[in-house]
Amino acid sequence: MPFVDRLLTAASRHNAVLLLFVVCCGVTIIGALVIRDMQHANTEAQKMYKSSVNGLQEIGELQYDAQETRRTTLYALTTTDSNLQVEYADQTRDADRRVRNGIAEYGRQAKGPEELAIADRLSRDWTAYLGVRDEVLASILEGSTSEAVSLDLAGGVPAFERVRQDLNEVKRLYGEVASREQASLAESSRRSSSRMVGILSFTFLLSAAAIWAIQRSQMLGRMHLANLQMEFVASVSHELRTPLAVIRSAADNIADGLVKNMDGLFRYGAILQHQSRSMGELVDQILLFASTEDRNKRVSLRPLAVEQIVETVLADTEGLVRDAGFTLDLDIEPGLPPALGDLPGITQCLRNLIGNAVKYGGADRRILLRAGASITKGNLPGELRISITDRGIGIDSSEIVHIFDPFYRSPRVHASQIHGTGLGLALAKRIAESMGGSLTVISQISAGSTFTLHLQIAQGDDIHIAASEGRQSKMSLT
Amino acid sequence: MSILLLQESSAGYGRAVAPPFADQVNPTEPLVIVVNRSNPINDLSFEELRRIFLGTRSHWPNGRRITLVMREPGEPERKTVLHDICAMNEDQFKTHFVHGLFTGEILVSPKILASPMGVRKFIFNVPGAIGYLRVGDLDDSVKVVRIDELLPDDKGYKLRMQVQLAN
Repeated sequence: MPFVDRLLTAASRHNAVLLLFVVCCGVTIIGALVIRDMQHANTEAQKMYKSSVNGLQEIGELQYDAQETRRTTLYALTTTDSNLQVEYADQTRDADRRVRNGIAEYGRQAKGPEELAIADRLSRDWTAYLGVRDEVLASILEGSTSEAVSLDLAGGVPAFERVRQDLNEVKRLYGEVASREQASLAESSRRSSSRMVGILSFTFLLSAAAIWAIQRSQMLGRMHLANLQMEFVASVSHELRTPLAVIRSAADNIADGLVKNMDGLFRYGAILQHQSRSMGELVDQILLFASTEDRNKRVSLRPLAVEQIVETVLADTEGLVRDAGFTLDLDIEPGLPPALGDLPGITQCLRNLIGNAVKYGGADRRILLRAGASITKGNLPGELRISITDRGIGIDSSEIVHIFDPFYRSPRVHASQIHGTGLGLALAKRIAESMGGSLTVISQISAGSTFTLHLQIAQGDDIHIAASEGRQSKMSLT
Repeated sequence: MSILLLQESSAGYGRAVAPPFADQVNPTEPLVIVVNRSNPINDLSFEELRRIFLGTRSHWPNGRRITLVMREPGEPERKTVLHDICAMNEDQFKTHFVHGLFTGEILVSPKILASPMGVRKFIFNVPGAIGYLRVGDLDDSVKVVRIDELLPDDKGYKLRMQVQLAN
């Protein structure tokens, strides 16, 4: 189950639509299978109709034409008008031609040896009957009625009876083939129904599983977000409670008259000032993060000299670095082009990065601020890079994909009792992207981390308005 | 005003052009004697033909009974046969057959067919039948018999009918 949950969490992170897509693909494939099965059953039914029903119809027509041949021959007996007798002769020969064609067709379509033998016998018996029929017809036309009747009784009747028996045999064989094909069709229909039920059941189960997976992934996502928010609230509460406790304690001491001299009062005043500033910075950071939730918000960009950026950042973080006992080293390439950005945003971004370096910088207590640029190569535009490097605890490879998520805090950081809100890097990344830049990280566990802010190089003095969606931040690990 | 009354001929026999004047000499068209294709007879003398058409010869050499096929009275082919072969007119011919049947000299009276197609079909169906057709009415279902060893195309062929012109 934990594996399934991890999988579903990953699916939820990318998109639940993926699951729907998979389900749709499955249903489409299954639908195609069902349609193919139905077409197959339909083809078999058509084949059966053609071979059996049409066959029975053809043999029925053959029987009728054979009777017609004999009937029209005998009709000629009923008149002495030679013209009418010639018409009857024509009719009997037409019917005879149809019978011969029918027998030939049956012989061509005969499949087994039994059918071939019957076709051959039928052809011979019909030819024999026609020989008698011609004699009878000639006698009728000559006017020898009694001779015609005698010939018919002696040869015509038995010859035609043999033909009739042959046709009945053909009909019986057709019936047997039709019965076999009908049984085959029934079997095929039953098989199709079973497949249909199976396929529908499978589709239902697949759909149910997909709906369950989507709902569970969404629930896990919401639970994850709720956990992060609870952790955030706990962190913020903790971060606020600590300076508040110090402020209240200091205020109580002053109110209770425990501070007797001016030195003590100054010391308590400095404590109050520092703690209230810390609280203010925390609140500002939360408000700033909330304000960056609106991704459509536009930021005013202007060309900024690298020296101006560095001076501002140093002035802003001097107290932080000094109080923590850290040393901030600078490595600025000479002659750097101006960056395109928003100075307060860049300052906030770098302050967060330096603050993290102070928090996780380890015993070495050295931070390196490096500034450099890359020239335009082909389709890749040139950029200005400002990086903050520490030699601290580093980031684990499994966590590096999460560090820019809002409210995310590493379990190692929790265990080390290092306080924070989990908003610093998320905020820095959003600020970088709002300026059309990006934020990348290279880190090695126990060796330190380097966070690099990538900024566009200003091409002129114009102020550009950049959309808040910047280039995607890249992360790598060495 | 005279109008040409000729049956169309696929073989070219009997084809005529409308004469400019009614009293112009009429052209002639051969009349062929036909039998069933199974009949072994290929040649008849004019005298044998006369005996057959008068009913005095009743059987073929192979024993088959002869069945005489005639067109209806008034048809030009019949007139030619009666005149050229039987040397009789219609009344004499009828009288001859009534008398023959009564006395038993003649076994079967001629079969009367209304059209050339009827004649062809009758002869096709009856092995012992014999009849006559214009050349244009011939097809493969019947066999032409030589008369005195002459075919209709041959010079000296006797059986020719006058093309009748209608007023």
